[in-house]
Amino acid sequence: MKLKIYLVLAMLVATTWLLGACGPSPAAEPTKAAGATSAPPVAAPVKGGAVTIGLDSEPPTMDPHASPSAVTFYISASMGESLLYLTADRQLKPWLAESWEVTDGGKTYTFKLRKDAKFQDGTALDAKAIKWNFDRIADPKYKAGSALTYLQGYVSADAVDDYTVRVNFKAGNAPFLTYVASPVLMFVSPTATQAQGDKVNQAPVMSGPYKIDEWVSKQQITLSRWDGYTRKTPYSDHDGAGYLDKVIWKFIPEPGTRMATFESGETQVVATIPAQDLARLSASKDYTIASKAWVGLPRIWALNVTLPPTDDLKVRQAINYGVDKDAIVNSIYKGIGTKAYAPLTMAMLDDPALRAFYPYDVNKAKQLLDQAGWNTVGADGIRTKGGKRLEVVLNSIDSGAGPDQINVLVQGQLRLIGMDVKLKAQARAPWYEDNYRCATNGPILFLRDGDWNGLNAFFSSALVGSNFNFACIKDAEIDKALEQGRAESDPVKRKALYLELEKKLLDQALTVPLVDELSVWALRANVSGLKFNGFTYPMINDLSMKK
Amino acid sequence: MYAYLARRLLSTVPVLLAVSLLVFSMLHLVPGDPVKLMLSEFQTSPEQIERLRAQLHFDEPLPNQFGRFLFGALQGDLGISIRTRRPVSAEIMDNLPSTLQLTLAGLLVAGVTGTTLGILAAVRHRTWADAALMLIALLGVSMPSFWLGLLFIFLFSLNLRWFPATGGGELRHLVLPALTLGLGASAILARLTRSSMLEVMRQEYITTARAKGVREFLVIARHALKNALIPMVTVFGLQFGQLMAGAVVIETVFSRPGIGRLIVDAILTKDFPLVQGIVLVVATSYVMVNLMVDMIYAYLDPRIRYNT
Repeated sequence: MKLKIYLVLAMLVATTWLLGACGPSPAAEPTKAAGATSAPPVAAPVKGGAVTIGLDSEPPTMDPHASPSAVTFYISASMGESLLYLTADRQLKPWLAESWEVTDGGKTYTFKLRKDAKFQDGTALDAKAIKWNFDRIADPKYKAGSALTYLQGYVSADAVDDYTVRVNFKAGNAPFLTYVASPVLMFVSPTATQAQGDKVNQAPVMSGPYKIDEWVSKQQITLSRWDGYTRKTPYSDHDGAGYLDKVIWKFIPEPGTRMATFESGETQVVATIPAQDLARLSASKDYTIASKAWVGLPRIWALNVTLPPTDDLKVRQAINYGVDKDAIVNSIYKGIGTKAYAPLTMAMLDDPALRAFYPYDVNKAKQLLDQAGWNTVGADGIRTKGGKRLEVVLNSIDSGAGPDQINVLVQGQLRLIGMDVKLKAQARAPWYEDNYRCATNGPILFLRDGDWNGLNAFFSSALVGSNFNFACIKDAEIDKALEQGRAESDPVKRKALYLELEKKLLDQALTVPLVDELSVWALRANVSGLKFNGFTYPMINDLSMKK
Repeated sequence: MYAYLARRLLSTVPVLLAVSLLVFSMLHLVPGDPVKLMLSEFQTSPEQIERLRAQLHFDEPLPNQFGRFLFGALQGDLGISIRTRRPVSAEIMDNLPSTLQLTLAGLLVAGVTGTTLGILAAVRHRTWADAALMLIALLGVSMPSFWLGLLFIFLFSLNLRWFPATGGGELRHLVLPALTLGLGASAILARLTRSSMLEVMRQEYITTARAKGVREFLVIARHALKNALIPMVTVFGLQFGQLMAGAVVIETVFSRPGIGRLIVDAILTKDFPLVQGIVLVVATSYVMVNLMVDMIYAYLDPRIRYNT
């Protein structure tokens, strides 16, 4: 009996605690939107020890060339190396390639390699090995993931000499220089990979400072330091492999459990922190928060231009004026995002001209709807035109693509301008299907990409019905601008081209940019040194733990 | 007895065939282009989509595809997972033991606590203890295991630090998930045991036993319980299937490996071969458990095997 009372009491305590955690909390400290990690510098890192990192999902495969999933690269970014390195502030630095040259109008790339690089099995990482890797990705018999997109238009690679490799493309391919710095195009050992067969999916042999020890399905991946690594990674504060003996990546999908393991010390670092927990963690001296803005396209509502009423420019503009992004960021994101202005995040391309588009302006939105003929307001506060109500269908997904609350908030905000937003909440598969068939007024989604070319997947005519062109836009001018952006190898001119393109996309109001999201990680106070590359993937070579 | 067994065993073959056809066709009847959906996570070109379609033989007629599936399954080859590029059988073997372990441990928790509480309630029929026990059982049925699991984590992992919140393999990893899974099911078993015991204890042979001066404990344990067990075995078998289904939630809350999580991931990513493989394996084990239940049933009650 005594035990039962104890149990009931304990459960009451736990319940109160939980409710407290879910309830309203003061807004978090504003986190830095872009740039390096906000973790404070710590003196003299300690060597040794093991750190467990809690992730919300498990990678499908660890073969970097096969995976479509960011989680793979969270882990493999510290297992391998790429030709170049993209810093957190988007500068290209040498890594395996000491220098590089772009010729033939951006169709040919020549990389001079460092001579001391080896894979973890002892195989030389030379021009031949790199050619083998690129051929592997392009091989029609191989089921490549994102890597194939990154090599779009690949013709061949030549080993000019042992340490010079030349890559040839059908047409000018400017994004390649960014993509070649991505963990997606890190290299696997030709000898080990050919010998291990299917096992490459579980334990690829790469050349970086950490190597894979063991993968326990649905549980964890253990990496251990590879002492054969003597080089200095471009982001590291020291030569050679990392400080930690082991890094364990643990998969904990349930957010409540994930936070509990962090606060109980079962994990020392944790990713994907629920917004309602961030304020509590930030306020505590026991933890530090590291964050970095995601690159690519922000969380964005693609407005379907083929279906009424969003086929009308004025309606699309009215939606843009009528959505209060500050309210979304403050009430839902609580410090894990900032206001978005354009189809590319501010970390990718920021310009006062882009920020000037569509400030929150209810009156302007109403005016535009009046002009578009939606000028009678019904008894329910919804506008009508010729007896038809002003309704849009927002294709919303019930899991996997982030906060549902955005949909509901947007619904409430647009009601104020006399628009009825219907939410079509559905599972992942039919959600995609509706997007491919342009059957709703569009979904809210995001896209991670390290290059401005990420816009291609969203706005290229060729990709209506098969990729992320959920605005269903077929526009020759936009197609041409996308092609020019791909081909232009001069970085300054290229930036100008994409700025023009962004303005055009905003003029046509093809999307409603909502939130630039942040990748937020929490570390226990005795752990430090988490860094991010230009793709917002964590780099763990400088991670260390004090006793 | 043997003839009964043989007949019973043979009858599982068409069941399994029907299951595999159902699994196969369900996935193909779901609207949407499976290949596009499989590639939906990342940027693709139309050529990539066509390439994958050919690699998966999705351009062949459905009967051919079903033939491939069935022929492979008979040889233990369930195909290659699209997402992880590993053999489906390997994925399942990595995860099945953990789910079986959890299910059996949950069944044990449910069996022990459920029957004990049920017997106690029956023996103390119409007392405050009976009412209290049944109230607890009612709470147990209504409490979602998801919520119970989180409460256990906050209590035993975060505050008391007795057990880890996540992981699998060792016994200490099993305690909280097994309790969460078992306590919910035990409530149902407790109610059933109680009514079953009450039913039996009204019978004349119990009165006879008591009249002969058999001690009360033996009356309950030897005479009443054995007969009360018959309906419970059926429920136990059904519970096995339910617990396996419940494992999906428990595995997610406690981040345990298991086929529950495996199939959720597989469905979300439309990993056809993996979904088919798991459903086939789960259905087969369910059929096997039912077979076992029928045999135990026949052992407990000889009338059954003569009737069929």
